[in-house]
Amino acid sequence: MKLKYKIILSIILSIIVLMMGVGLGSVNVPPSHIISVISNKIFSTPLPAEIQGTPSVSIIWKLRLPRALLAFLVGGAVAVSGSVMQSVLKNPLASSYTLGVSSGASLGAAIVIVTGFNIPFLGLFTLPVTGLIFGMVTVFAAVKFAAMMDKNLETNTIILVGMVFSLFVNAILTLIMAIARDHLAQLTYWQMGSFSLKDWSSVMILFPLVLVGIIILQSYTKEMDIMTFGEEQAFTMGVDVHKIKWSLLSLSAALTGSAIAFVGVIGFIDLIAPHVVRKIFGSNHRTVIPMSMFFGGSFMVICDLVARTIISPSELPVGAITALIGAPFFAYVYFSRRKGV
Amino acid sequence: MLTLQNVSAGYNGIDVIYNISLSVKEGESLCIIGPNGCGKTTLIKAISGIISHDGIIKIDGTDINNMKREQVAKKIAVMSQISTIYFSYSIYETVLLGRYLHMKGRTFKEPSARDREYTDKCLKAVGLLNIKHKQISTLSGGQLQRVYLARTLAQEPSIILLDEPTNHLDLKHQTELIDFLRDWSKYEGHSVIGVMHDLNLATKLSDNMLVLDNGNIAAYGNTNDVISSNLLNEVYDMNVTEYMVDSLRHWESFDSYYKNKLRKVN
Repeated sequence: MKLKYKIILSIILSIIVLMMGVGLGSVNVPPSHIISVISNKIFSTPLPAEIQGTPSVSIIWKLRLPRALLAFLVGGAVAVSGSVMQSVLKNPLASSYTLGVSSGASLGAAIVIVTGFNIPFLGLFTLPVTGLIFGMVTVFAAVKFAAMMDKNLETNTIILVGMVFSLFVNAILTLIMAIARDHLAQLTYWQMGSFSLKDWSSVMILFPLVLVGIIILQSYTKEMDIMTFGEEQAFTMGVDVHKIKWSLLSLSAALTGSAIAFVGVIGFIDLIAPHVVRKIFGSNHRTVIPMSMFFGGSFMVICDLVARTIISPSELPVGAITALIGAPFFAYVYFSRRKGV
Repeated sequence: MLTLQNVSAGYNGIDVIYNISLSVKEGESLCIIGPNGCGKTTLIKAISGIISHDGIIKIDGTDINNMKREQVAKKIAVMSQISTIYFSYSIYETVLLGRYLHMKGRTFKEPSARDREYTDKCLKAVGLLNIKHKQISTLSGGQLQRVYLARTLAQEPSIILLDEPTNHLDLKHQTELIDFLRDWSKYEGHSVIGVMHDLNLATKLSDNMLVLDNGNIAAYGNTNDVISSNLLNEVYDMNVTEYMVDSLRHWESFDSYYKNKLRKVN
């Protein structure tokens, strides 16, 4: 199938998945009602008589739509970040988590949860903002330390230093959890990730961050392509490898950091999405970056749908579902395509 | 065009090449030969700016230390040895990347019609135009070497640096590559500097030869003047002439055509 058609099909599938994410649940809502409610809220068009005054309107607009959109944004951001990290570090297992984003963010979240610390003007956003700051600081410290150890900022040095920092920060987190046992459940739950009780405010903050992040990353796709062939080669082709590497690592860490800060640690998507996208669309980052957004976003919406409906009215942690669904799916896509080549 | 004055370079503060001085004119081919570890690749890395150097390297009269990375890359392209392919691209996509500096400045660095035409021209030159949509992960070492050569040409440099370009190539493609580089240099007025292990191919390609021994210049000048049995035997620490004659004798044993040829030579 031609690349153009694959892209169009993926966008259509993403819209269908989003519709499913909004429409399915304890109360099932047909797509026509979803479109009517969105149109009513944005363009003030009249609602169909059969849903006027019913709880469906609130369920769609206040609960499910922001939740599905947030899941899409988070999944997309984490997947894009994974694609960038794998290319920059030339390692198919690399992600922002390799550089300590999640351990840093978890430590920040733990400090807020245990101490009850609250930044006055941020209110409820104290937790995500602190998580983001701690996640970013961990990554910057790791990359800065790697640059001090190795002025060429070699990939292996970055990965090793990132893992050391990640393990070190995790050890502090474990100590906090061991001391503050009263908060153990809350801390563990945050680390599993969840989209429950998320409203439009989270979407409104995350949407511009993800959009700007992806547009900036999209402007670096040629450099990412070239760097996958080796840094010396990229250097002789005129790429400012050192500067681009710093920019890409910071941007993708910020993307993951801001995404997980709102919902807790969500793993696995950053690992599988880039591989699946490359298998389907090829390795050109011009396509890989936007398609990672669509694939990661759709996959996360499906995982959240499963997490909130499979043992309804209770919810499962979405972080576990991503791995439960993702691992066999990844194995199927990766190995079946490989056999075919 | 390219001049080196007393250039020394190495790794981690330890020099591997010492006081190298040479000059390469437009349309000239220079081959660098010498035993393993003599500093051939280090010299290529110093000229391309991958490693820092002492001394002066000038392109068209300008010190490369005073040039921006992009300015150097517009003049010098490096075709390095084949390395691991982490993510597969099509042949066309790979060669198009050589146009990076020409695409820079455009929105999302989109290729222009000229970039696409030039990419096709380079693919045609290396004989890969008809399979340009194939993935590079499915290619043989020789085909991949030609893809990298096409990408190097796509940079539109005036100087090409090659590090063992004939590795992975069979005899036919080795000869084709050398002929191509020689023509590219002679008829388009560009310069070629190549690190070679095969003395026959090096002799075939080069106008001038640089022989390195332990990081120092053992000989430098016109290929016909430089190549002598004594020098080669000394630098490679073996009887190179005897080895080459011996190789021909092997041919003599099973091929009457070469038998007759050798008889005539003797």
